[in-house]
Amino acid sequence: MEIKGLRTVFPTSKGEVVAAKDVDLTMEPGQIIGLVGESGCGKSVTMLSILRLVPHPGRIVSGQVLFFGEDLVKKSPLEMRRIRGKEIAMIFQDPMTTLNPVFKVGEQIRESLRIHGIMSEQAGSWPWGARYRLQAERDKVIQLMEEVGIPSPQARYHEYPHQFSGGMQQRALIAIALACEPRLLLADEPTTALDVTIQAQILDLLRRINETHGTGIILVTHDLGVAAEFCEEIVVMYAGQIVERGPTDEVIQRPLHPYTRGLLRSIPRITREKRKLEPIPGVVPDLANLKYNCAFYDRCDAALPKCEHDELELRDVGGGRLVRCVLY
Amino acid sequence: MTDSSLGTANEHQIVNPYLLELRLLTRNALHLWGQLRRHPTALLGLIVIILYVVSAIAAPFIAPYDPTEQNLMARNKPPFWAEGGSLDHILGTDQLGRDLLSRIIYGGRVSILVGLLATGFSVLVGALLGSLAGYFRGRLDDIVSRFADLLMAFPFLIFAIGVMSMLGPGFSNLIFALSFKGWVEFFRLVRGEMLVEKTKEYVEAARAVGRSDLAIIFSEIAPNIFHTVLVLATLRVGHMIVLEASLSFLGLGIPPEIPAWGSMVAGGRVQLLVAYWISTFPGLALALLVLSINLLGEGLRDILDPRLKLQ
Amino acid sequence: MRGIKVLERILATIPIMVGIAVIIFIFIRAVPGDPVDLMMGEGGYVSEEEMEAMRKAFNLDKPVHVQLYLFLTQTLRGDLGESFLKQVPVTDLILDTLPATIELALGALVFAVLVGVPVGVISAVKQNSLVDRVSMAGSFVGISFPHFWLGIIGILIFSVTLQWLPTNGRLDSGLSIEHITGLYVIDSLLLGDLELFWNSFHHLILPSATLGAAVAAMIARVMRSSMLEILRQDYVMLARAKGLSEYRVIVRHALRNALIPTVTVVGLQTGVLLGGNMVVETVFGWPGVGRMVVQSIYARDYPVVQGAVMLYAFTFVIANLIVDILYTYLNPKIEL
Repeated sequence: MEIKGLRTVFPTSKGEVVAAKDVDLTMEPGQIIGLVGESGCGKSVTMLSILRLVPHPGRIVSGQVLFFGEDLVKKSPLEMRRIRGKEIAMIFQDPMTTLNPVFKVGEQIRESLRIHGIMSEQAGSWPWGARYRLQAERDKVIQLMEEVGIPSPQARYHEYPHQFSGGMQQRALIAIALACEPRLLLADEPTTALDVTIQAQILDLLRRINETHGTGIILVTHDLGVAAEFCEEIVVMYAGQIVERGPTDEVIQRPLHPYTRGLLRSIPRITREKRKLEPIPGVVPDLANLKYNCAFYDRCDAALPKCEHDELELRDVGGGRLVRCVLY
Repeated sequence: MTDSSLGTANEHQIVNPYLLELRLLTRNALHLWGQLRRHPTALLGLIVIILYVVSAIAAPFIAPYDPTEQNLMARNKPPFWAEGGSLDHILGTDQLGRDLLSRIIYGGRVSILVGLLATGFSVLVGALLGSLAGYFRGRLDDIVSRFADLLMAFPFLIFAIGVMSMLGPGFSNLIFALSFKGWVEFFRLVRGEMLVEKTKEYVEAARAVGRSDLAIIFSEIAPNIFHTVLVLATLRVGHMIVLEASLSFLGLGIPPEIPAWGSMVAGGRVQLLVAYWISTFPGLALALLVLSINLLGEGLRDILDPRLKLQ
Repeated sequence: MRGIKVLERILATIPIMVGIAVIIFIFIRAVPGDPVDLMMGEGGYVSEEEMEAMRKAFNLDKPVHVQLYLFLTQTLRGDLGESFLKQVPVTDLILDTLPATIELALGALVFAVLVGVPVGVISAVKQNSLVDRVSMAGSFVGISFPHFWLGIIGILIFSVTLQWLPTNGRLDSGLSIEHITGLYVIDSLLLGDLELFWNSFHHLILPSATLGAAVAAMIARVMRSSMLEILRQDYVMLARAKGLSEYRVIVRHALRNALIPTVTVVGLQTGVLLGGNMVVETVFGWPGVGRMVVQSIYARDYPVVQGAVMLYAFTFVIANLIVDILYTYLNPKIEL
């Protein structure tokens, strides 16, 4: 997938907020990429923009999202519907609120199969094949539930979301996402609402899926630790823009952008020495009211006078590293 | 909250709380007025209501005719804009030659009075019982709540019809019938709120200072519950007016000699094909009044609820 | 498991029903004056013996608690006494007129749902559009206007001016339908008589619309506000992310959830429906229980009034019960 120059805006009473600005992102099939940043930095909006699910009144104003060569931005709603859930799937943050409380879990998983007609070829056309298709879909759902690690799937199929634990709910959501064997999975903070131990399990599951199915994953998170654990490459976003990118180890050990450096410094560490926590001074700027050329300027410890007017582009500094900063 | 509640026990303490309450009340009222200006529909409702009330009070002065005066020479005259009508009788006359406009104005007196009184009694009884039941719980609460549940099992109009059919038409009978079922709603509301407020800290604080239970109920908790009661009461006035009209329509409300919108509509039914205005205009007056009350009530709800507590 | 809870709930209504009967009993006895005098009305002179005989017949000579006991047991057996006027059992009178009322009530409910739900949903989906504003204004009007006036205006517009619909009754005079269910619209279909169907349907429209208008307005408002809330929920977003069509998202996922609070509201509105029933039947000359009750009140036919009031109250209780039960089936999280 290749995102080029994506720009998504939200008109608000205070002015137009550019939630995603000049986003460029390239990804190979089967890669695992982490999209890291604070709340409101535009990572979720970018994800939603890929699937054209940006909530009204936000909209994509420019850019391309090339998925296996086809520009998703230009597709008709009908075509997008065929892609959503089938080619590209998404899972959200809080599983309890993402599952519909009035439908059985099994049925919700089956819905993905049904609308994309996954089992139709095997069973034949409607209406004669309908019964067989139903059974085939049910079987596949059970299989999926097993694969994501939901115990006793036969029984659990008929249960409602509130009867599942948080971790199981998230697994169910993953099952829904996986049902049609998508080539790309967008995971928006899938572990944030879960306990740490369950977090590890879910991440493990996602890794397994990537290995067995070759599904690409974009993991959005504000937790650098999670990203470090899990992703091959990390992309750092701030105030709607990508500010750094690189292989995980590199970014962690040799952060280039001052923001990334600040982030890494502010992580509390469990080491023997006690240090003071070092947060990044200042607050995230009001996106409707960006004052400076570089959005990080007023909080940056390496700020230079030329930050205020120099062109800022995402530059390739070698070794697969990209940075948007005057320092490079 | 108020300084006086933390002071030592002395004479002044008894005077100050009430003065303070008054000041709080006026401050709240002004605040309310400011809010109302931002809700044009509610304001519109209020203006219309005031118009109705004023015309009801000033009825003897502004009504062109005596509402009961019959003029058989001028029966079924249409309103002035229709053929055959004249400015003598702006809205026309009914089947007995009585001027419709005057009757409508006088009918407003009845409706407004009934609405206010019935709601007033309902609020009084309901809020009182509700506060006591919610605060003290126990046997009182059980008995009254059970009784309230039972009364709730009757649809309002049915109940009122039942009572009125036993008692016969009449102004005080009507007020009684309406209040007898009306208090239940306020009882439940106040009781519920009381149960919630009881657990809050300022009640603890007041008790710790030694204020009596009754004082706590009336001066501490009441102001917090006041706004929800106000909203409901406003809406209920409209409801009561509709009930009165429905009962009068059926002949079970206001006695037919007294002009009332409901009975006017009923009377005009026979003449519907010839003189549609006899039924239409009283009903229109009723509908507009109730609409305005509802607008005001909804507006009040919008204003008061997000504010939560007007301190 | 759920079945037991349902049973419990049903049983809980029994004391309420008993309480209702007791209250009615008290009311009747509380009427000032000798009941027999009331019954005799302003009528001619009745001899003492006849009055005594009446008293005996109505058990008025026995002590109060015995009267109460007799009253309750009679009611349980379905014996609601006899009409003064017509000398037939009250129960029979009620059963005769019941089908008409049921037809009207069902018509009103159908109208309310068919109008209220779509309006509410569309208003929510197209929030703040012209459609939304108009519908909300309309629904506000609908809950403010009293039934009797609405009915009369309806007659004025549709029957008198436009001449589209008849003014009263269930059928044009001269027509009759064989009694199968008592619901003319359905019976005529069952009999295959299209002309009768059309006729009865035409007669049903205006009264149903009048009675159902207030409920429709209420439904529209509640549907709108709950839909608005639900459309904001995450699972709606997920449904879209799954690739469901917008129609499916709204109808299948959002609607089911939005119906839950709506059902509750409708349950509360049944009281309005029952009360309005009497008025609407009177306005339209609809020969149902309501109109009969009103006529009985004029005629001081107290047993009929008493029986009908009890019936209405019981119906209300049962309707609330049904709503409660329905609610549990719609919302899997709640158990009774």
